[in-house]
Amino acid sequence: MIIKSSDQLPRNTLLKRFPVPKNFEVSPQSRIERGKTWPAPAGATSIKKFEVYRYDPETEKNPRIDTYEVDLDTCGPMVLDALMKIKDEIDSTLTFRRSCREGVCGSCSMNIDGTNWLACTRFITDTAEPATIYPLNHLPVIKDLVPDLTHLYAQYALIEPWLKTNSPVPERERLQTPEAADALNGADGKGPAACILCFCCTAGCPSHWWNGNRFLGPAVLLQAYRWLADSRDEATGERLDNLEDPFRLYRCHTILNCTRTCPKGLNPGKAIASIKKMIVERRN
Amino acid sequence: MTRDDRPLSPDIQIYRPQLTSVLSIIHRFTGIALSIGAPLMVWWLIAAAAGPAAYSALHGFLASWLGLVLLLGWTFSLFFHLCNGIRHLFWDAGYGFELQTIYVSGWAAVAISIALTLTSWIISFGMKG
Repeated sequence: MIIKSSDQLPRNTLLKRFPVPKNFEVSPQSRIERGKTWPAPAGATSIKKFEVYRYDPETEKNPRIDTYEVDLDTCGPMVLDALMKIKDEIDSTLTFRRSCREGVCGSCSMNIDGTNWLACTRFITDTAEPATIYPLNHLPVIKDLVPDLTHLYAQYALIEPWLKTNSPVPERERLQTPEAADALNGADGKGPAACILCFCCTAGCPSHWWNGNRFLGPAVLLQAYRWLADSRDEATGERLDNLEDPFRLYRCHTILNCTRTCPKGLNPGKAIASIKKMIVERRN
Repeated sequence: MTRDDRPLSPDIQIYRPQLTSVLSIIHRFTGIALSIGAPLMVWWLIAAAAGPAAYSALHGFLASWLGLVLLLGWTFSLFFHLCNGIRHLFWDAGYGFELQTIYVSGWAAVAISIALTLTSWIISFGMKG
């Protein structure tokens, strides 16, 4: 099937999972065990099951999958609503990040039915039965659905995400034409500056799973491009020097899971290709 | 508790296969298959040069069902790696990154490589007479 935009849900998939053994490449403390089921209250008529990854650092136990039965008649429409209902009414120990509940803050990014998305912009009716909820992939888990993003933020800091200039500071703002601003915001509002740093793309990138210690990943490279494309920035050469590295940039093998999964409909894959092109073009 | 004691959230075990990642891994596997197949082709050339006895021994293997399966796999690997390689050439030039284009070109690479594989086998069996 042809996917036209990232918010389109897959209809028929031959494989729900890759054919790898259950604990393929998984360290002993990361093995997932079967958890408990939290049944819906008696009399509930519209029951939906959510299988949720749980991990409690206070115990010595391994992560587990708990199943929650939620009464949709008394639940909001989004996956985040269901998670908040679970926390409020069923199991207050369930831990997850959330803030804006409208897809602008990027806090509630998680793996829903096998792909990464924001819990606040995914309709419950668009999820599988049972819906499966995991934290963002291949990250150390602090608790339940809260992954440790320290390494990803350190990679973000590495690209120096601020305006760098050599020219004298003008009396007023550094101005930009609307066309030059479009390179950042995108004429359709989907330029690199629209990224909310939810890290759905980086967590869904197989190259970042296996080389993430040195490969910067799609989210950070999209931001790197955001500063390269900025007409006011005067450090383009220095920024390209910083990126021209077999691992930092070139571990991108154009898999394009990033562009497929971006909950804002942005195109990290294209931005990375643009950086590679800029590096080639400056040699001429 | 230190970072290293923490569990790592699952990745390939739970991430949904998509055309993007599936074609990428097939591209890599077919590349490996082609690398393994290249010495076999050299072996075939050497056998052909070495004379009828050596050639018929190798031909016996290649004409067996196992040999035919390997040859079919190698032919598909060749055409898929070629078609998907052309997608990569376009990407390297900065074209074809819209999601719809990624999917159209991906399915086209699958369809064309299967068609080319079947066509070349039909032609070769036709030439066998």
